[in-house]
Amino acid sequence: MDAVSYTAQWMAAARAQESTRDDALFVDPFAEDLAAPRGFELIDRYAGGGLLPFISIRTRFLDDAIRDVLAESGIQQVVLIAAGMDTRAFRLDWPEGTEVYEVDHALLIAEKRRRLDALGAEPRTDRREVSADLTKEWMPALEAAGFDRDRPTLWIAEALTFFLTDEQAAGLLRLLASASAPGSHLAFDILGRTLLRSPFSKRFLDTLAADGTPWIFGTDEPEEFLTANGWKVTDLREPGQPGAGEGRWPYDVQPRDRRGANRLWLIRAERATAS
Amino acid sequence: MSSAGIDKVRDWILGRHPDRTELAADVDLIESRLVDSLAFVELVYTIEDAAGVEIDFDTIDIEDFQTLATIEKAFFA
Repeated sequence: MDAVSYTAQWMAAARAQESTRDDALFVDPFAEDLAAPRGFELIDRYAGGGLLPFISIRTRFLDDAIRDVLAESGIQQVVLIAAGMDTRAFRLDWPEGTEVYEVDHALLIAEKRRRLDALGAEPRTDRREVSADLTKEWMPALEAAGFDRDRPTLWIAEALTFFLTDEQAAGLLRLLASASAPGSHLAFDILGRTLLRSPFSKRFLDTLAADGTPWIFGTDEPEEFLTANGWKVTDLREPGQPGAGEGRWPYDVQPRDRRGANRLWLIRAERATAS
Repeated sequence: MSSAGIDKVRDWILGRHPDRTELAADVDLIESRLVDSLAFVELVYTIEDAAGVEIDFDTIDIEDFQTLATIEKAFFA
């Protein structure tokens, strides 16, 4: 497995830990088995900086976004981009007829399938695996699996944009917009730029870079970034706010106008209408 | 008088770490993970409040924030 797959194991380990809490934000019964072999070791390696609570808060934020958007919009086509060890297709309640596409590279998908099969996991909706290299053209593989760009879509891009360059992150949003019928939605997360430049982040960021998974992209102006790339923010939160892990975040939520604050953005957006 | 300000900074750090009761002036705040990247902005504001200064984030020198001693030297001397 490549370096990004270890990141997927790390996320799974974080979800496994969350699932055992009395006040768990979600329960992922498969996460522990998906975290092997390195996930729990990476929790220690990347400790500090609020990452564990952030992973949990983000997971729940996106769970809620999926539930709300599908209920309100009637969208029946959900795409998890760089799904990693995500088990939402196996643990969430899905409206009848929902198709869930999980896009990731072939090795990861095969390994995940092997482990979930061994656990006897049954998807709770029409789940479709899409093996694709996200650094190349992947939309054809998605369409070959049944994705229909003429139907509205909910895109989920969890923990993905960090690993992209500015150009790649903007390109991803434009690509999603170009494949989105009117009424499509997007839910994802973005790092703050200040966080990536903070001297107090340096040790952690250096560790990630040494492990082959550097964090690169971030912005402190998420609304502008989305607008410039075909999307309109409908809900923007930071961890610790209501609906985003209030009471579980070990830091103050900094007012938006406070300079120098390290931001983590949790975002719901809709496709911008052509103007 | 000059020690009152740094005491506020020390109290803020200890307040975040209930398992600690004291903090020596030479403890490395970053190495020891007493202050991490997300808490850093709160540290800066705590220093600003205690010292009555404004700190420019664009020209921050991390050396000034390494220990209570360096913070005292940089902002409370």
